[in-house]
Amino acid sequence: MSEEMLRSDNINKYFGANHAVSDVSLSFKKGEIHGLIGENGSGKSTYVSMLTGIYPIDGGKFILEGRELAIRNQVEANRNGISIIVQEMGTLSGLTVTDNIFLGNEDRFVRHGIKNTAAMNRKAQELLDQFGFGRIRATSMIDNYDFEDRKLVEIVKATYFDPKVLVVDETTTSLSRAGRAELYKHMKRLKELGNTVIFISHDLAEVIEQTDSISVLRDGQLIDTVESSKATEGQLKRLMVGRELSDRYYRTDYGEPVSKEIVLSAKNVSVPGQIRGLSFELHRGEILGIGGLSECGMHEVGKAVFGASFDRTGEVTLADGTEINSIPKAIRHSIAYVSKDRDNESLVVNDSILDNICLPSVKELAVGHVLLKKRLSAFAEKYAKLISVKMSGIDQFVSDLSGGNKQKVALARWLGKGSDILVLDSPTRGIDVKVKADIYALMTDMKKQGKSIILISEEILELLGMCDRVLVMKDGVLSGEFERDRSLTEEDFIAKMV
Amino acid sequence: MTKSQTVTEMKKPRRKYQEFMDNPATRNILPVAGLIVIILLFTFLTGGKIIQPSNIQLLLSQTYMLMIAATGVFLIMTMGCLDFSQGSMLGMASIVICYLSAYSIPLAILGGMVTGAAIGAINGFFLVKRKILSFIVTICTMFLFRGCIAYLTTDNPVYAVGDIFSYNTIPVKLGLTVVLLLLVFFFFHFTRLGYTLKAIGAGEQAARFAGIRVDRTKWLIYILAGAITGLAAFINVIKVGSVTSTGGSMLETEILIALALGGLPISGGALVRFSNLVVGVLTYKVLSTGLNMLGLTTEMQQLIEGIIFLIVVAVFSDRKSLQVIK
Amino acid sequence: MDSKDARSRLKTDRFLGRYTGVFLLLLLVLIFWAVFKILTPSNFGSPDKLVSYLQTSLIYAVGGCGFYFIVVMGLWDFSIGANVVLGSVLACYFAQSMGYWGVVLVPILCGTLIGLLNGIVYIKLHIPSMIVTVGLALIYESLSVFAAQGEERVLSTSYRAFGSYPANLILALCAFLLTALLVRYTKVGTYTYAIGSNEYVAKNMGVNVDRYKVVAFVLCGFFTGIMAILTISYGTSMTAASSLSSMSRNFTPLMGTFVGLAFRRYGTPILAIVIGEFIIALLFNGFVALGAPTTIQNVVTGLVLLLIVALTTKPVKGAVVK
Repeated sequence: MSEEMLRSDNINKYFGANHAVSDVSLSFKKGEIHGLIGENGSGKSTYVSMLTGIYPIDGGKFILEGRELAIRNQVEANRNGISIIVQEMGTLSGLTVTDNIFLGNEDRFVRHGIKNTAAMNRKAQELLDQFGFGRIRATSMIDNYDFEDRKLVEIVKATYFDPKVLVVDETTTSLSRAGRAELYKHMKRLKELGNTVIFISHDLAEVIEQTDSISVLRDGQLIDTVESSKATEGQLKRLMVGRELSDRYYRTDYGEPVSKEIVLSAKNVSVPGQIRGLSFELHRGEILGIGGLSECGMHEVGKAVFGASFDRTGEVTLADGTEINSIPKAIRHSIAYVSKDRDNESLVVNDSILDNICLPSVKELAVGHVLLKKRLSAFAEKYAKLISVKMSGIDQFVSDLSGGNKQKVALARWLGKGSDILVLDSPTRGIDVKVKADIYALMTDMKKQGKSIILISEEILELLGMCDRVLVMKDGVLSGEFERDRSLTEEDFIAKMV
Repeated sequence: MTKSQTVTEMKKPRRKYQEFMDNPATRNILPVAGLIVIILLFTFLTGGKIIQPSNIQLLLSQTYMLMIAATGVFLIMTMGCLDFSQGSMLGMASIVICYLSAYSIPLAILGGMVTGAAIGAINGFFLVKRKILSFIVTICTMFLFRGCIAYLTTDNPVYAVGDIFSYNTIPVKLGLTVVLLLLVFFFFHFTRLGYTLKAIGAGEQAARFAGIRVDRTKWLIYILAGAITGLAAFINVIKVGSVTSTGGSMLETEILIALALGGLPISGGALVRFSNLVVGVLTYKVLSTGLNMLGLTTEMQQLIEGIIFLIVVAVFSDRKSLQVIK
Repeated sequence: MDSKDARSRLKTDRFLGRYTGVFLLLLLVLIFWAVFKILTPSNFGSPDKLVSYLQTSLIYAVGGCGFYFIVVMGLWDFSIGANVVLGSVLACYFAQSMGYWGVVLVPILCGTLIGLLNGIVYIKLHIPSMIVTVGLALIYESLSVFAAQGEERVLSTSYRAFGSYPANLILALCAFLLTALLVRYTKVGTYTYAIGSNEYVAKNMGVNVDRYKVVAFVLCGFFTGIMAILTISYGTSMTAASSLSSMSRNFTPLMGTFVGLAFRRYGTPILAIVIGEFIIALLFNGFVALGAPTTIQNVVTGLVLLLIVALTTKPVKGAVVK
């Protein structure tokens, strides 16, 4: 069947100044499993979120079976026959499995306002049995089940009504082999019915195997669509990455030795559910990268080093033997942390640039025990200007700034503090190219000054381009380590990631 | 994912209003303008009675206690927390002051402040260690100590030593109030601890990541607020001379309304100004005295105050901070 | 797997869950009764006294049911006390002209309208529910003082049937059944839990969050109206006062609600509310029997509420609690 099921015409999406999805026009056929791949930040998740009603569209339209779609939320999407299985938790705690399966769609069981709970439960259990998940009880609270089982319930929820378009958004990475097999089975079932599956995954081998055609997005734009039977992983990677490594903004030096002096060491660090027995050392003047899939635990490492993890076991020690186990202590001992969650952790968004820059340094800024506004202002001005924050003044609230400038404020704060060890988690995520270049230049500068950086990032190229050493994590443990080398490729990296 | 309606997505008139209210100049001027308007309004309505010197003196003499008590709550609310136990705190501290006044006045003042601080410590403990919402904790302590006050004054009111009234002079009251306000002003603007309060209110999680010891700060501020209320209790005792079972009731609501009238955003944060405290208390006192002078019944006054309260809180709330409102 | 097998397994699951819940609750009742009985064998705990405790606890439990919808969503409603006072005063007044219709219909109507007003003002003003309802409570209180015109209002003796058995029990049971029905068999119940679980995700799944919040307030007002009927019939008179004296009426129902919340996972929230209120009544009367003066009432309220909240909420490390 080569009829078209779904089409998008010039879809656009902006997040502030960030052009996340740019004029994407794609066509999806009936009876096909269509892969959608791209790096983090390529726009693929944003694109499907617009299709399924999670985000509003800023330009262009979707056309399903010849009709233009106007969808405001997931239930409307469902009614149009579009369904999504998301990457994060898609079920609500405190409700039963049945309630979760039918949430938003109860009306067919409701008469005169009364919900026929018994019928709903029966139907839900029937569906679960049909899908082969009979060990999941429909009347149980969903909280009784683990993440994978809850995902299975989501599969039922998303496909029981045989949607015309099913979007699988990075779901397979969190499933076991058995879980994945289940998912593939249902994807094939939909395909045989003549419906469409849009399959998003980082696992290129899986994508090639399970799909009929693959579309590649990069920097919000559609690069190409290829036939899966003829595609190779290498070819796909080249399409995903596109640019050459020696490009603009990463470091250009290779082969410079890193000091042997250890400034920080982590021994047997574990965080239940996230990290297991992680040990590593950070040297002076080193940029140490940590990478992997988003759920591999690397983001928790940043928090653990900064003393922000509540149930961390193991030790994080400095050169002089000081153990780091609380945030104030970490800051006092010259450790800085720029979180991936910019708006809730890195910055007090509803506060001024002045306050944000001065907060960790109040002790040093005080004259005796007194804080003088003049000193604070001068301090904030100095560091905001040093890093070229585009602002209307230091009293401006951070919430008014663009993503890139917010990040600059977060960095300015630690510049002002003069921290020697900086833990940067996804510092260039969602930021435009110019500011990215500025941040990379800043990092190189700091390295030259003898400061040490831990760079946690989901962007493989960034890690390969900026770091002296890169640790790869998988499922909470260290799975590989690379030294800086011109010949390193993404392939080497991805091999250790998945 | 964007979890909120960004400013650009709001409709035009709503956006204009939002930008108007977010302008710091507006937030500074509006409450003062409100105060002036209210003074003018009541001058007109009472035929000039309200601005007669004797009435002004009366008004001021009733303001001192509220001003001092509101100072502590001001600090608490800047962090985004609440305190409903102020009234019972005042009552308990007043009882202690009355008992101790027989021995020595400075001891009595100290006793009152320690009592307040102790209750504040209890509030802080349950908030910080057990992570129970501040308004639940303080409502519980309100009841608890309201009951204690009722018990201690069952048969007759608790009396302070007879010559306590000799302290009921303007220099004492005004002096104490002004000194306290200056101290707290200094604390709020010029000390490290005071400086961090707005950050805690604006983004507690982020404040923690910036190295602020949020838990310790909250506890300390609750203790401090309690001590300050103990001081307010002294002002109360030198005026009234005794404590009955209803001693201090309604104080917490008066404080809340006063601070709201001063333009304090209900969730605290970076838009808080010290002027919210002073302007607010004055505005509230003028309002309630004025309504009284117009001969309105207490319930009528309460009705008007309730309506004004709701309007003012809505106008001055910090929208950007309140993403998911519960 | 066969449908029939599935069905019978579902039944067993549910039964087991409920069974545990009921058992725990009854055990608690027994413990509290025993403690006070041992301490003051003569003053406390005789069968007829227990019946009177039950009667008062029914009143608060009805209020607790209304509160339940609100608290599950994470909202608060502190106008319940003022609502009860207003409803009671109006009932006394309208009983004279409308007889039992006045006693039953007027408080329910008043309560529901107040609930609707609460919901609408909350949605429109965009400020926390706790603050909104305190402000509105001030207004409702003054309205009730107007309505009472300064006098203590007494419910005429010919219309006091709902103050005693069997009318009060029947009314209360109707309220409980209605609550259980709403929670288990209507969309309101599901969506209330959904919004309470994760408002953002619920909204994305098509739940009209604003509308269901208003519905929760309306339901709370409605059940508060029923509570008013029972209150005035049992207490026979009501004095309307200002200065937030009605605030104390908010808390006994709230305590029952918290107990109900804690037992939600056993599937018996409503039953937990009723038994919870009964235990609280035991506590209050127990202290009185021990010789504590009535002034201690407030102390007990404060302590018990604090205890219940402390026991039913788990401190999560690093959570932002204001």
